[in-house]
Amino acid sequence: MAATAVPLAPPDTERKEKTDAKESHDHGYLVICWNDPVNTMDFVTHVFQVVFAWPKAKARRHMLQVHNAGKSLLARETFEKAEHYVHQLQGYGLHATMEREE
Amino acid sequence: MKFIRSQKPRQAGSPFVFDIGTREKAVLLETLRLYPLLDASYHQFSRRPKTIGKADQEWLEEAMDQQRLDHKKKLGQLFRDNRCFFKPGKHGFRFSLTGEEMEWMLRVLNEIRVGSWVRLGRPEMEAAHALSLTSGQARFLAAMELSGYFQAVLLEAFS
Repeated sequence: MAATAVPLAPPDTERKEKTDAKESHDHGYLVICWNDPVNTMDFVTHVFQVVFAWPKAKARRHMLQVHNAGKSLLARETFEKAEHYVHQLQGYGLHATMEREE
Repeated sequence: MKFIRSQKPRQAGSPFVFDIGTREKAVLLETLRLYPLLDASYHQFSRRPKTIGKADQEWLEEAMDQQRLDHKKKLGQLFRDNRCFFKPGKHGFRFSLTGEEMEWMLRVLNEIRVGSWVRLGRPEMEAAHALSLTSGQARFLAAMELSGYFQAVLLEAFS
């Protein structure tokens, strides 16, 4: 299903210059998706497949973790990539945030 | 609305085709007219903003504002002339969407669903149907359910 996805736009170049200073090799930024009562399970699975190009089984596993545990850690990335993922997930209406790993 | 076909294996630009009745088409368009229902302040970049930064929150809000403008512009085209989306068919219309348009439609419908839920006071789903509603709120309960229904039909086409 990811093959049907729209290619996601790369982070804005101007912004990229700004964030280069933010430890671009530091993979200590977490992308977390939080549970809410409104986004359907099928929709959340679909969004994970599109945004991360995951197979359906992996997307569904993370969706169930969000549903059952209240949240799921989706990625541990550099600032720039984590920010890109958060923007994509929020663009679909999911409650996804970026947190600094402690 | 019922999924009819897509070309398999999927090729870029090949459409997903749905049968949609005349009244159902009118309901879909009326639901879409509610867009946008959220504003940028809905989006939260981090639960610990101190560790991330105010500029990052503002950047997210700007990006979501821009996305809303783009979606609204495309919806405007759909409302002005939807003949390229809807062609007369046996049981009403044939509704065609490319893969890219499917993602766009899913995002728009989901914002209507989430925005309606916010306007209902963010209830748990079971509780939403037990709320005593004003006529204004009843409109959002209907929009939440209808957008969820159309989303489900679109998502089924991917499986």
